[in-house]
Amino acid sequence: MSTETTEEPDVVRTHLSRLSIALRGTLRRRDGRIAFVVGLIGYFLVYEAAVQNLARAIDPGTVGINVVDDPLALAFRSTGPFQYEPIAFFQLYAVDYLFAPVTAAIGLGLAALVAANLAIAYVSWRAPKACGIDRGRSSSAGLLASLPALLSGTVCCGPVLLLIVGIQATAGLMALFQWLLPIAVLLLVGSLFWVSKGVSPDAAV
Amino acid sequence: MNSSQPIDRRRALAAIGALSLAGCLGRAEEAVRPDNASGADNSAQADEPESGPPSDTTELDINGITKDPNGDAPIVTGEALHMAHAVDDLREAALSGGPGVDGIPAVDNPQFEPIADSNLGADKPVFGVVRDGEAKAYSQQVLVWHEIVNDEIAGDPITVTYCPLTGTAQGFDRGETTFGVSGQLINSNLLMFDRGTGTLWPQMLAQGIEGPLLGKQLSEFRLVWTTVGRWRDRYPDSEIITNDTGYQRRYGDDPYGGYTPQSGYYETDRTMFEPLAESDAAHPKSVVIGARTPTGAIAVDKERLLEERILSGTIGNERYVAVADPGLQTGYVYHDPDGATIEPDGDGYLVDGETVQPESLPLDRTIAYDAMFFAWYGYYPDATYVN
Repeated sequence: MSTETTEEPDVVRTHLSRLSIALRGTLRRRDGRIAFVVGLIGYFLVYEAAVQNLARAIDPGTVGINVVDDPLALAFRSTGPFQYEPIAFFQLYAVDYLFAPVTAAIGLGLAALVAANLAIAYVSWRAPKACGIDRGRSSSAGLLASLPALLSGTVCCGPVLLLIVGIQATAGLMALFQWLLPIAVLLLVGSLFWVSKGVSPDAAV
Repeated sequence: MNSSQPIDRRRALAAIGALSLAGCLGRAEEAVRPDNASGADNSAQADEPESGPPSDTTELDINGITKDPNGDAPIVTGEALHMAHAVDDLREAALSGGPGVDGIPAVDNPQFEPIADSNLGADKPVFGVVRDGEAKAYSQQVLVWHEIVNDEIAGDPITVTYCPLTGTAQGFDRGETTFGVSGQLINSNLLMFDRGTGTLWPQMLAQGIEGPLLGKQLSEFRLVWTTVGRWRDRYPDSEIITNDTGYQRRYGDDPYGGYTPQSGYYETDRTMFEPLAESDAAHPKSVVIGARTPTGAIAVDKERLLEERILSGTIGNERYVAVADPGLQTGYVYHDPDGATIEPDGDGYLVDGETVQPESLPLDRTIAYDAMFFAWYGYYPDATYVN
C-alpha cells in the first residue's frame, strides 16, 4: 500500500516531466513557436466569436470604447455557463469586441491548451526527434478536443448552436451544454498527457 | 366579418397527452383545466386537486432565489386568471435556458431620452405605455438583452418585461419589489421571480407557480407593441429608453434574428424548446393578440385583425370583441356582453353613434398582449382562436 501511495505522485511527476520535455523541445524550434502562437491567437479569437463577444461591427467604420461604471462589481457576475459580464465594449472599425475579463481568461486558458496540442502535433509531424515524441502519439487528435468548448456558447435564452442549426432543446441537451467546456478541458489535458507517455526521457532538452 | 374557431378540445388533449408520454407533463388527463360554462371563478376551481393553483407537490427550487413570505411583494389582483395547465405540470416543464439567476440582468436603473432625439430607426419595435399623461417607450433592442426593466411611470413602480422566444411584452405593477430573470423557461417563456418574496412567475401567465405568492395574479397593464415611428407620431413627447443600461451589450444586434425584416428565430416555423401543446392551426411564429379572463382565454390573429378592423369571439357564453388600432398597428380586446354596434370610422370607431378611439371604446377592456401563436397555444390550448 505504501508503495502505491508513493508511486502515484511519481507517475504524475513523470508525465509532467515528459510533457515539459515535449513542450520545451517544441517551443525551442521556430516552427514550433509559430504553431503555438497561431494556435493561441487563432483559437482565442474563434472562442470569443463563438461566445458572441467578438462579432462583425453593428456600425461599421465606428471606433470607440465604452466601459461600465463599476467594472469590478460586474466582472465576476456570471451570464451563463463559464461566461461572465463584459465590462467594456470596443468598436474597432470592422468588428465589435465585448471584453469580459473572466470569459477572456477562460478563453486564453483553453487557447493555451489548444496551442500546446497544435504545436506538439506540428513539430512531432515535422521532426519527431526534436522533442523526443513518438510519432504515433502525436496530439493532433487532441485538436478535436477543442471543439466542444466552441459549441458551449449561450446567448440569452439558449445555446448559440441550437439557434443556428434549429435543433429543439431538451432538458438533457441543455444540461449537456453546461458540461461542454469542462469536457473540452479534460480532453485537451488528457491529450497532452497521452502524448507525454510517448516522450523519451532521454530526449535532448 | 369574422370567424370564431374554438380550438378543438380533443386535439388539445391529444397534444398534451403526447407530451405527457414524452415525459414533459406529468398528468396529461389533468393538464387541461376544463372550461367552465357556468363561469365559476378560479377560487372554486382551485379546490380541485387535479388542476390549477394552489398546488405544492412538486417543488421548483432554483439555486439563488430565496423565498421570503415576509419580503416586499409585487401588487397582485384579487382574482386569478384562467390557466389550462396544472401548476405541478408547469413546474415540471421548467428547464434551464442556459444562464443562471440574473444571468440575464434586468435593467434596474433605466435611462431615457426624448423620443424625438432618438436615432433608433423608425421601423424598430418598441413597447409603449402611457399612464397619467406620461408616455414611455422601451425598445426591443434593449429588452432582447435584458428581458426586464424595473422602472417608474407617473410615480408608480412598474416592471416592463419582454420574452424574445415567445414574442411577448407585458407590464406589471411591481410595488416595492423588483423582478429578475430566473434563467428558467416554461413553454419557451420567461420565468421571472420577484426579489422580495422569491415567488416564480411565468411571464405570460402572470401567476405565481412557486413560492409565497403561489396562485396569486400579478397586477398587469397593457404594453403596446409598435414601432418607434408610430409611437413617436402618436406620442411626440414620449421618452424612450437608451442603451445606457449599466451593462455592455451589442445593442442593435439581435441574437435571435430580426424584426425588420423578419428573420432567424422570429421567422422560422421551428421553436427552440418543445411547446406545452402544439397545433397546426397557424404558423407557430404568427402573432396573436391574446386576452385571459378568470374563466377562459381568447386570441385573435393580429394580421387578420389589422385587415378586418373588428373581430369577435366568445369565452364560454361571454362575447368579446377585438378592434384594431391602425395608427399603432395593434389591437384591443373588450368584453362585449350585449353585442354593441361597432363600425370603423377613420382610425377610430363608431360605437352606438359616438366616435371613439380604439383604446377607449365604452366597454370593459381586457388586458391583452401580442404573442407568438405557438406560445399562446402552448399555455392556452383550450382558448378560443379567432382568425
